[in-house]
Amino acid sequence: MNGGYPAGPLARSIAWATVLYLLLPITIVIPVSVTDQRYLSLPEHGISFRHYANLLGSESWLASIQQSFWIALGSTLIAVTAGTLCAIGCWRIGRRSTELVRALMLLPLIIPAIVYAIGLYRWFGTLDLLDRFLGVTLAHGVTGIPYVVITVSTALAAFDPRLEQAARGMGASLGQTLRWVILPRIAPGIASGAIFAFIHSWDELVLVLFIASRNVFTLPRKIWDGINENLDPSMAAVAVLLIVFTVALLALDGALRARRQ
Amino acid sequence: MSAPVAHALELRGLSKRYGSFIAVDAVSLRVDRGQFLTLLGPSGSGKTTILMAIAGFVAPSEGAVLLDGADITGLSPERRDFGMVFQGYALFPHMTVAENVAFPLRVRGLSRADRDARVRGALDLVQLAAFAGRRPSQLSGGQQQRVALARALVFDPALLLLDEPLSALDKKLRAELQDELKALHRRVGRTFVNVTHDQEEALSLSDQVAILNHGRLVQMGAPEALYERPRTRFVADFLGKSNFLQGTVREVGATGMALQAGATRLVQAGAAHPAPGRPALLSLRPEKIGLLAGAETAENEVAGTIASWAYLGAGYSLSVRTADLGEIRVALPAWRAPIAPREGLPVRLGWAADAAVPVLEDADAA
Repeated sequence: MNGGYPAGPLARSIAWATVLYLLLPITIVIPVSVTDQRYLSLPEHGISFRHYANLLGSESWLASIQQSFWIALGSTLIAVTAGTLCAIGCWRIGRRSTELVRALMLLPLIIPAIVYAIGLYRWFGTLDLLDRFLGVTLAHGVTGIPYVVITVSTALAAFDPRLEQAARGMGASLGQTLRWVILPRIAPGIASGAIFAFIHSWDELVLVLFIASRNVFTLPRKIWDGINENLDPSMAAVAVLLIVFTVALLALDGALRARRQ
Repeated sequence: MSAPVAHALELRGLSKRYGSFIAVDAVSLRVDRGQFLTLLGPSGSGKTTILMAIAGFVAPSEGAVLLDGADITGLSPERRDFGMVFQGYALFPHMTVAENVAFPLRVRGLSRADRDARVRGALDLVQLAAFAGRRPSQLSGGQQQRVALARALVFDPALLLLDEPLSALDKKLRAELQDELKALHRRVGRTFVNVTHDQEEALSLSDQVAILNHGRLVQMGAPEALYERPRTRFVADFLGKSNFLQGTVREVGATGMALQAGATRLVQAGAAHPAPGRPALLSLRPEKIGLLAGAETAENEVAGTIASWAYLGAGYSLSVRTADLGEIRVALPAWRAPIAPREGLPVRLGWAADAAVPVLEDADAA
């Protein structure tokens, strides 16, 4: 804000305390990841990158990373398609009842993941989707929809409805209007939604614990097991890589938004 | 542009209700091929709803829209073949000027070469060929308006619909673009339907003006006919300025009638009149009243004093207080004005028997 009053010392210290509170637990994994010990600890005699080497040389870690990536990509595709169509549909109909649809789409955010996971477990059992790539991708895709609905609805709120009228009036079909007028205008919103949906799947654990066991072993699942079983510092190394990857995605989102303005 | 193919538009008993609110009430009208029709009315008069019904964005509750005699009421907007200039232009911000103008052609699946040629032609038509590569946000309001016009005309539509095309512009630019729009209409020879609340714009642009109030068509005709022979008080008041003189019919003759307003006797030319003893209302334009000097006389004379006055450049606007007719507004040319106006100055007003027009009260006209 320009021209506002500068923050007082109390406000400043509270703000910094909050920032530290948010960041410190995350940054603690950085020194841990370069420890020279064999267990999760701070470095004692020096810095060592052997846990990173270990991680990148381990087939089981790389397999998990790969699996997580493909699941995240597939579920992002599902979430973006369904969420974008839903947001556009609600926007075009524009009646009071569409508010209900939009609220319904946000349910995965509101309902505790564990409740949802129990339901999925029962249901996927009968559908033979347990511990399968498709099952996890579907579950992550559906729970990623809210992020896309929110970002695309926000982008549509700024869209001048007369542009759609103009396109239709000039003879454009609904499909042409969607492709040439609406989608280019809301593309940044879709991209934001896609990034959030990707991150959502990338670090989702609760659902995976319920609906996957051996065949599907995503990265968060592997970290979880690692912490429970052997306290290997490779976990800290993978956590650092995860942070770097997520920050890169968020930076991409920021760059896309900046380009829009 | 290829050879002009103009179309005739007809509305038959068009009505639009929103719940219990009647936005458009049984409007019937006809525009001939190549005519420029303006729907004129205050806000809430239903003019925009009628335009949207012609475009197909609003489904009428009753009635029909006909193009060259064919009923198009049930067609969706994209199948009606009209060009439209939207309020605020609705240019696509993510496309260049050329891409905007090419849009209707792209939709119709024209080849790139055909598209480019016609886009150039349309941009030449509105003198914007040099701006083809710019984005709409880099253009002035007047230029954006011209891009919208080029985009609406590039595919040779049957009809051009204009929704308050000049309302976003400042006054000087508006006058300029009015002239351009009129010249463009002549050049492309198509049927134009324009919506506005600006009576000057309606008078200067149109072949036909339809005046709307509360969803009803009050009167339709050529601008001169509407201005000179308004049917109701609303029309006389909305188109230009008018004085309203209230009197009682005294005598009715073959060529006119005599009215009594207090102690003042008025003579009014014209054929059809109400019966003696009935009240009558006359509309008298401020510019048709003269100031009488010395021994000068007129068919109608009334004495009063100047209550207030304003200098408007081309003329003075006087408000003259009279005993029997209330305050009468007089437009006086400033060039060699017979008097120097000041408040309280006694004056004699005079006007010819055919200067005023009998009009109906709005309630009686319904």
